[in-house]
Amino acid sequence: MKILLVEDHPELANSIASYLVQENYVCEVAATFDEAREKLVLFTYDVVLLDIMLPDGNGINLLKLLRKEGVESSVLIISAQNALDFKLTGLSEGADDYITKPFPLPELHARIKAIMRRRSPHKNNVVTFRDITADLESLECRVKGKLLNLTRKETNLLLYFIHNKGRMLTRQAIAAHLWGDYTDNLDSVDFVYQHVKNLRKKITDAGGQDYISTVYGFGYKLHAPD
Amino acid sequence: MKLNYRYTIAYAVITFFVLSLGFAIVYAALSRSVTQATIGRLEHLNDVVASQLRGGSDSLRSFSRAAVRIQPLPAALGRPRTVAVRQEWDPALQARVAVVRLTTYPAVGGRVYAITSRASVVEPTDVYLTGLVLVFAWTFVFLLALVVILSELLSWRILRPFNATLRGIQQFQLSQKTPIDLPTSRTAEFEELNSFLVRMTARAQRDYQGLQEFSENASHELQTPIASIKAKIELLMDSDALAEKQLRLLAAMHDELERLAKINQALTLLAKLEHYEALPADLTDFSQLVPATEAAFADLAEMKGLRTTQQVVPGVRVPFDAALAQLLLNNLFSNAIRHNLPSGEIRVRLSATELLLANTGHAPTVPVEELFGRFKKGNAALDSIGIGLAIVKRIGELYGHRVGYEYAEGWHSVRVIFALPVG
Repeated sequence: MKILLVEDHPELANSIASYLVQENYVCEVAATFDEAREKLVLFTYDVVLLDIMLPDGNGINLLKLLRKEGVESSVLIISAQNALDFKLTGLSEGADDYITKPFPLPELHARIKAIMRRRSPHKNNVVTFRDITADLESLECRVKGKLLNLTRKETNLLLYFIHNKGRMLTRQAIAAHLWGDYTDNLDSVDFVYQHVKNLRKKITDAGGQDYISTVYGFGYKLHAPD
Repeated sequence: MKLNYRYTIAYAVITFFVLSLGFAIVYAALSRSVTQATIGRLEHLNDVVASQLRGGSDSLRSFSRAAVRIQPLPAALGRPRTVAVRQEWDPALQARVAVVRLTTYPAVGGRVYAITSRASVVEPTDVYLTGLVLVFAWTFVFLLALVVILSELLSWRILRPFNATLRGIQQFQLSQKTPIDLPTSRTAEFEELNSFLVRMTARAQRDYQGLQEFSENASHELQTPIASIKAKIELLMDSDALAEKQLRLLAAMHDELERLAKINQALTLLAKLEHYEALPADLTDFSQLVPATEAAFADLAEMKGLRTTQQVVPGVRVPFDAALAQLLLNNLFSNAIRHNLPSGEIRVRLSATELLLANTGHAPTVPVEELFGRFKKGNAALDSIGIGLAIVKRIGELYGHRVGYEYAEGWHSVRVIFALPVG
């Protein structure tokens, strides 16, 4: 999967790119409007991660240009703009999704996955991690073939873990993923604890192994012990 | 009190004093001139009598002698004349009246005589006085009526540019894009006032826009470095070479950074709301949005063991932008959950006129109205940034809804009283 990252801040572009490479994406970086346009003309990308404020132009104009020329790539806007700006002004019109800075990298990853799934809904509908399988279509999760009775939030949480397996997920990142704009509560991290606890219990109750480990004071990680 | 009323009252008081003074002067002058006129007549009479004496005929039977007494004086005393005014009983009038006596000392044939003539004077008492008072009272009334009518007309005409300026100031908003609109005036003072206002508001607008740009730019410029640092910490976290001690340090940094980002976002949001131009024509269906928001927060409430009761009247449509209404409700619900007691209660009541969200909780430690301020927290121990109510209030204000907060008997209630929809 090929991704074009349009971001003028070199350090941030660097971090995002190295993260995406770790997740087995092919990631190219364009720092300016012109560079991005050139790359988009020459190559095909599955997803374009687009910053709005670019030194030589506005990312929204690039988006309009893409749509006008019928470029098929999905566009995910990454911007320092407030979420309210998007809602009030329809700033993200024509884009597949938007995410506001600062965002947790796993969240970016989950968003890219979601966009890709929307593009080709019938491909690769089941994700697995060891003996856990999750059907993205029906949202059914199974442990060793046994159906888990999960709430919507727990399903969401499990998918987030599987998408970011082997990675540290901070409590804040999980909270942001589960509740999104609904809560600016910093203490919602306590609720994350509850949800993770319930999820782990349901997996072990179904006879599965508890692959989720707690990193004290930080967050959680889904990984298989060696 | 209006300016022209004050003028009218001041003018009425001045007129009253001036007229009273005028009345006193007229009265004094009148009474003096009556006496003077009498004295003049008596002088004439004395002259007549003196010339009769000179003619050698002291015609005692003459009419002219009726009120004149003549006394020869022993020595030639060169006194010009004496006047005496005294109250005396006048048998002819059967009343006490002022009597004027004039004595002249003419020399007739080498002898000096004292000729004293007398006359009663009817002074302008009583009847005169009443007549005078009436004249002055009517003058006062007419003047006053004239002043009232004219001041109304004149002030309407003269103060018209001033009133227009007042209206202009009232309609002026710092956040508007156009300069203040003030009509020109031919009056120098008003013109000066207007030009001063135009200059001052232009400067205020410039400063305001500068501040606005600054806050927008600052927060925008800050978000990217924060995002960059956060991404780096996340990458660092995933490397295997970290001991637990280092991980804890990283975690602390990450939490602080998260907090910084939240504060920054909240401030940008408030700055955004500060100059957001609300369209009161947008209606949002609260009867649908309130239960939906409650449902979205249900799991959070459940985990804290809170019991929620809802009373929602159907079909309540309120002037609000949908995104802002959602933001307002999110803040209210998350506050109600965050500041609740374990196993507490939340009550939601939506009627056609207001939304009430009440929750159990500890008594606030600061006066409740202060909680609408930024970074004011009722409970310092909680890990919140204390800007939620400021956002709620601001969103309410945008659409003219009143937001109230009160605490009574263990219940915190936030009330949003809806302004009537336009049209």
